[in-house]
Amino acid sequence: MKTRFLFPYWCRYLGYALIIAHVPVALFRKVLGFDNPGAADDGLFNSHHIFFVTTTLAMAIGLFLVAFAKEKMEDEQISQLRLDSLQWAIYLNYILLTVTLILSSDKEHILLLNLWIPLIFFIIRFRWVIYRLNSSLSREG
Amino acid sequence: MKNNIRVERAIKNITQGELAEQTGVSRQTINAIESNKYVPSTVLALKIARVFGKPLEDIFMLEDND
Repeated sequence: MKTRFLFPYWCRYLGYALIIAHVPVALFRKVLGFDNPGAADDGLFNSHHIFFVTTTLAMAIGLFLVAFAKEKMEDEQISQLRLDSLQWAIYLNYILLTVTLILSSDKEHILLLNLWIPLIFFIIRFRWVIYRLNSSLSREG
Repeated sequence: MKNNIRVERAIKNITQGELAEQTGVSRQTINAIESNKYVPSTVLALKIARVFGKPLEDIFMLEDND
């Protein structure tokens, strides 16, 4: 089946690797308090900002690759499940976005949430339906 | 929509995997179609009918609520 706008299958593993690699770096950032730049704040392109952007981008690209890599056997049912999961993810994202807009005034927090939630929820939902599909197959024998 | 792919497969004596291979989809998809969980596209339906060498209406039929 011809598919557009999808990465090759191996990109999924590259994506997982990026996500896993991001975890210790993000922890390092939190533990060392790298999040709070000190007095030596020299404009937009200071080291804190660049570090933050690089790690966040690594995570976002990782999630993106995992979410939009082809399946081993990409067929029309997979496309439909992907579309379905995407719809759920967007719904959930906008519900959460509305709730946080009402309850929170922290704009940066909202932006970060909006960066992760659709992709993470999409991946979880998509993998879950594929898992269910495979387990129904093994029940049939 | 109903279908009798399972019966046709038994007549032709091919497995879900073999039908999947001949129509270029996964075994999961054939299984989902057989258990009425997934409605195939027209292209896939025609491919399945071609494997069995029968017209489409002999394999897929509409139900009252369709």
